[in-house]
Amino acid sequence: MSDALATTKTENPQPPGGASAAPRTGRISGARDALAKYGVLVALVGTIVVFSALKPHVFPTAANLKAILEQFSPLAIIGFGLTVVLVMGDFDLSVAGMIGLGSAVVVALMSKHGVNYLLAIVIGLLVGMAGGAVSGVLIAFAGASSFIITLALGQVYNGFEYLITKQQTIFSGIPNAYAKIATGTLLGLSNQFFIMLGVLVIIFLLLEQSTVGRFMYALGGNREAARLSGVRVRELRMVGFMIVGVCAVIAGILITSQNDSQSPNSGTPFFLPAFAAVFLGSAVLRPGRFNVLGTLVGAFFLEVISVGLTELSLSTSVILLVQGVILAAAVLLSRLGRASA
Amino acid sequence: MSDQQFVSVDSLVKRYPGVLAVDGATFTIPTDQIVGLVGKNGAGKSTVIKMLAGAVQPDQGEIRVDGRPVAIHGPRQAEALGFGFMHQELEQFPMMSVAENVTLGARMPRRAGALVNWREMYERSRELLAELDPSIDPRRPIDHLSIAQKRVVMIARALLARARLLVLDEPTTSLTDEEIKHLHSVCRRVKERGGTVLYVSHRLEEILSLTDSVIVMRDGRVVLSAPTAQTDRIKLISAITGSGSGQTAAERRRARRVGGRPQGDVILSVSDLASEVVAPISFDLRAGELLGVGGLVGAGRTELVRLIYGADSRRSGQVAVAGRLVDTSTPPKALAAGIVLLPEDRRHEGMVLDFTLRENVTLSSLRKFCRRRLPFPSRGQERGATRQMVERLRIRSSGVEQPVRHLSGGNQQKVVLAKWLERGANVFIFDEPTAGIDVEAKEEIYQLVEGLASEGKGVIFISSEFSEMVAVCNRVIVLREGRLVGEVEGDAVSERNIVELCYGHVGSVAA
Repeated sequence: MSDALATTKTENPQPPGGASAAPRTGRISGARDALAKYGVLVALVGTIVVFSALKPHVFPTAANLKAILEQFSPLAIIGFGLTVVLVMGDFDLSVAGMIGLGSAVVVALMSKHGVNYLLAIVIGLLVGMAGGAVSGVLIAFAGASSFIITLALGQVYNGFEYLITKQQTIFSGIPNAYAKIATGTLLGLSNQFFIMLGVLVIIFLLLEQSTVGRFMYALGGNREAARLSGVRVRELRMVGFMIVGVCAVIAGILITSQNDSQSPNSGTPFFLPAFAAVFLGSAVLRPGRFNVLGTLVGAFFLEVISVGLTELSLSTSVILLVQGVILAAAVLLSRLGRASA
Repeated sequence: MSDQQFVSVDSLVKRYPGVLAVDGATFTIPTDQIVGLVGKNGAGKSTVIKMLAGAVQPDQGEIRVDGRPVAIHGPRQAEALGFGFMHQELEQFPMMSVAENVTLGARMPRRAGALVNWREMYERSRELLAELDPSIDPRRPIDHLSIAQKRVVMIARALLARARLLVLDEPTTSLTDEEIKHLHSVCRRVKERGGTVLYVSHRLEEILSLTDSVIVMRDGRVVLSAPTAQTDRIKLISAITGSGSGQTAAERRRARRVGGRPQGDVILSVSDLASEVVAPISFDLRAGELLGVGGLVGAGRTELVRLIYGADSRRSGQVAVAGRLVDTSTPPKALAAGIVLLPEDRRHEGMVLDFTLRENVTLSSLRKFCRRRLPFPSRGQERGATRQMVERLRIRSSGVEQPVRHLSGGNQQKVVLAKWLERGANVFIFDEPTAGIDVEAKEEIYQLVEGLASEGKGVIFISSEFSEMVAVCNRVIVLREGRLVGEVEGDAVSERNIVELCYGHVGSVAA
């Protein structure tokens, strides 16, 4: 019974709604619970309603929805990868660097060495896997902090990218078939959307349905208890980083395929939104728990905001401000509901 | 000693969703006394304490201090009323000195209006510590103190904040006998200074030897409130459990255990196992045997069993199961070899608090629930198996999809046990399986452990309560400073023999 007074060790990173509350009573807390669970969804619907009211002929249209679904796909894919490591309590800050390096490898192989685009993609994905394996060895096996190590590795990947591209944008020598990956459509929707759905299904099955996912959540919840229960903690953490690496390269391929070119630092703009999508998502559906469906909603929400604000022809400074405020408000909303009585 | 009523609580009621935690509790705490508060996990003790601390509000009833009704809405009001608390998890500032820890939170003497008069603060804490425990140097960093000394510092902090009622929640958990004696003497000194102590404990021995009066709670009510001199162990146990039988588990088992158990072949053989803290140790465990590992805190008991299970890395040594050498260098390998370990610290090592009962129970046997060869476990089958475990171990919960965080300590321990029973093994190692859990749950855990042995499993049992080991084990090996120093078997298994081995024959603590 005295256990009830004990506080528990908190582990980084914590989802915004992660604080578990003591049993509560009353109507107010019921309303709070609803806010926590549906706060982000309500904010999403509200945002859509506002944009639709302000731009009735532009925002609530099928064409616009298609554009949003296409554009948010790379972001969502990066978010799915990050969800896997965040579930296990690790950060991967090298993701932006890997987007750049992976896409540089793929594009340079095709453009400078005439490698077949499918082979180039396979090699690119292997680079992503290898990068993740390096993070995994240093973090899970050698015991370094994921925060610092991935920050450093991101810099290393940047360096390799510049080495390959000499910091020049690569336009020429990209096969048409490669550009078609992102720009092609199926049933009227962008291929990117279907690739994103494919990654979503795989990661959903992994995290939510498989034994491996259960072990990942277990070690995220209590690493030592998981280890003593026979969970292969180090191997799983390493697999997590490899998944992020592969997701980063897939996103990099979609970005370069869409642009029909590879520009330096192409991953940087995705870095913060991807983390934001995962954290926003941890306040959706299963509050307090990183989950891949939540990440999907989070990424969609961020894209809605960014597209809507752009269509209002606001200046970049205003867009940044509004994005930041909406993000903070959404997270606070869910947090409010979880604050213990 | 005066009979003046200091604090009284009258018909307190506290409801949580689905649980009536406190159901009309009424008692009084006189001044200048040490008052024991006992009861099973879930009896309502900690809810009452939380109400005194202002952490939760009663639904009905009132708390009176010096005869006046008070409303306690938070820690500041509790402190203003003169209540001080020492919880199991110490709230301290590890980087600071003892004196700073003592003075923090006290009403600080001021200088020039706003500045803290540090010199006076230090002086006061020095005087206070000299009185409570002269061995504590106020200038030392608090990190360098033992757990027992840290608890004394917490007490000093409460006293400096002018606490008249000191609430100590399980203050002797994980202390050695010597440290317990010392803490008791500190409590008596607090009483001499005119303080009142509310002492919460599961250890009836210390309740009987230390307190002036005792309050027993059961199912949210006070079922016994009497001067300690008018009660005894048997009366307390029957009040705690509500059953007529005051016979302890130990006494009953003693009666049952005549001539020991039939024993089978050697099931676990440990040879020359060693690490930084454990000298090379060798011993055998037979099928059906209940082997105790005795020793004082820090003697290397936990370290030894963690080595067997591969939880820590070893320097040398081998482990054989049923005559075959096996690799147990990591927990997954030990599990594959048929060895499981129930770790000492269940909250941090035994379970995932945010996981449900189902997820915790099936964590180590998840592949069993997968259909065909796909890696996707069936939640329905998991639920079924968990329900069976809940029934078999009498785990009290509101359902198998409830997070284990809100279960009581005893029920949490049963969940960890259920995880290993679901997994199955040949060798079960239990490290302090009954720490901090109530009498009734303890009894259930003894029965489980015995049941495993009678099925022909090998069982290793560690407990700091030697009486418990005496009651449960056929044979006990004793460690001191990381070495195996002796072994007692059969009728020689007694508390006295174990204690003598623990301390060595020189300076035996029979006194």
